[in-house]
Amino acid sequence: MAQKPKVDPHVGRLGYLQALVTEFQETQSQDAKEQVLANLANFAYDPSNYEYLRQLQVLDLFLDSLSEENEALVEFAIGGLCNLCPDRANKEHILQAGGVPLIINCLSSPNEETVLSAITTLMHLSPSGRSFSPELTAAPVVQCMLRFSLSASARLRNLAQIFLEDFCSPRQVAEARSRQAHSALGIPLPRSMAPRQR
Amino acid sequence: MASSGGELGSLFDHHVQRAVCDTRAKYREGRRPRAVKVYTINLESQYLLIQGVPAVGVMKELVERFALYGAIEQYNALDEYPAEDFTEVYLIKFMNLQSARTAKRKMDEQSFFGGLLHVCYAPEFETVEETRKKLQVRKAYVVKTTENKDHYVTKKKLVTEHKDTEDFRQDFHSEMSGFCKAALNTSAGNSNPYLPYSCELPLCYFSSKCMCSSRGHVDRASNSSKDGRNHHKTMGHYNHNDSLQKTQINTFKNSVAYPGAQKAITSSEAVDRFMPRTTQLQERKRRREDDRKLGTFLETNSGSNAVMIGPLLPDMSKVDMHDDSLNTTANLIRNKLKEVISSVPKRPEDKPEDVHTSHPLKQRRRI
Repeated sequence: MAQKPKVDPHVGRLGYLQALVTEFQETQSQDAKEQVLANLANFAYDPSNYEYLRQLQVLDLFLDSLSEENEALVEFAIGGLCNLCPDRANKEHILQAGGVPLIINCLSSPNEETVLSAITTLMHLSPSGRSFSPELTAAPVVQCMLRFSLSASARLRNLAQIFLEDFCSPRQVAEARSRQAHSALGIPLPRSMAPRQR
Repeated sequence: MASSGGELGSLFDHHVQRAVCDTRAKYREGRRPRAVKVYTINLESQYLLIQGVPAVGVMKELVERFALYGAIEQYNALDEYPAEDFTEVYLIKFMNLQSARTAKRKMDEQSFFGGLLHVCYAPEFETVEETRKKLQVRKAYVVKTTENKDHYVTKKKLVTEHKDTEDFRQDFHSEMSGFCKAALNTSAGNSNPYLPYSCELPLCYFSSKCMCSSRGHVDRASNSSKDGRNHHKTMGHYNHNDSLQKTQINTFKNSVAYPGAQKAITSSEAVDRFMPRTTQLQERKRRREDDRKLGTFLETNSGSNAVMIGPLLPDMSKVDMHDDSLNTTANLIRNKLKEVISSVPKRPEDKPEDVHTSHPLKQRRRI
């Protein structure tokens, strides 16, 4: 599908994104899927693309990809969501599509980048102002964050701390802390120290 | 291409340079070869880690080089960080994230005092407060940008729709005499909406049509532009109308978008109507020959307006329309015009040939 190179950016952008989405849906190659998803996730960083991405239902594509077996696909998908969720319209869409449970699942991923993106996404999905969302600050989530705040990884520690301080009420944190002292089960820490397999 | 070995870099996966991806489909290959990686706000940081700096005491030069991209708050060498032999690793903290992003983009993979730098973000050096601020700035930026866009969009919508119809008419008026040029010239962008119009004309009547009153042209042009628009609305995914109105480009560029969908339809029409396959190859040969003649033709024909039938043809230098069928159509038109024009005066064609042949003759005489 050798298109003309370097068309006027905004004119060709929708067509290019459409081509990416089509390739993602049709290709059998895992490599191609990863490349296309990473490409889309990087596009999700720039707000000028959000209109196109919503039109092409890329947000749903990202949410669906969170359930993939392939860890790389999950990492890129949650990365894409993390990039575009500060936008109000995107945030609404994700909340209405029931994306929160899927994102919370990502907290248990062995991949550190995935977990970091998930935490940041949850932060952005939190209601603005002083209110706290019950779904986002459910006990398992808060407990998970408590464990992360003790992690050896500085990035994970920082993000978990910000989540607990800014997006949870002190009461929720205290509750989770006392509960954790008793329960043996918990969400495992990501394998942040292990060498990545290529 | 990894600057540090796999086992050394495992401390921080995001510091390791990944292999460049070479299996990308052609349509999505970028200008530079890149690895498959997603950059999120978590990964980006005002801290940059620079590996591969030759250990020849160039810290000052390094910092000066990076300072071109923004103010640097602090910098230091990381002695405990695993590095290849004879290289050093530095940490540079920029005042703001944007400078760091620019510096990374520009300085990564650059050569520096004989070594190849590998620049990456180092978010693990951030404090909690810095991370918090980073996230807040990012969120504020996105909210502000989308709010501005929405405001601008609702204003522009009304303006662009009105302007579109006006511009098509105006451009057509001005290019009336050079109508043939409009059909051939894509660089102006406006010509493509004219394409369905030109396709509808049978070729043999082309030159006589040009003599017709201007009003006929204007009406049909505005019709074709309307047709173009209607065509678009039935295209489904390609909602160019919406996206065009929402992007901040002027109406001139708007017309370039139309060919995106129109070409797919009109070019095939052009092929069916005017170009039987057998003629295509012939036309391409003729095109090559005509290219030679064309240059000389223009020179000799500069003063012979009176002889020409049909409108004055301005600069008819080769215009590539990026599409074979369009090029052949354009060439057919061009050739037909030439036939009509060249049928009267045969001398202009003879002259260049004489010029070419005259030199050898002269030489022979001299000898």
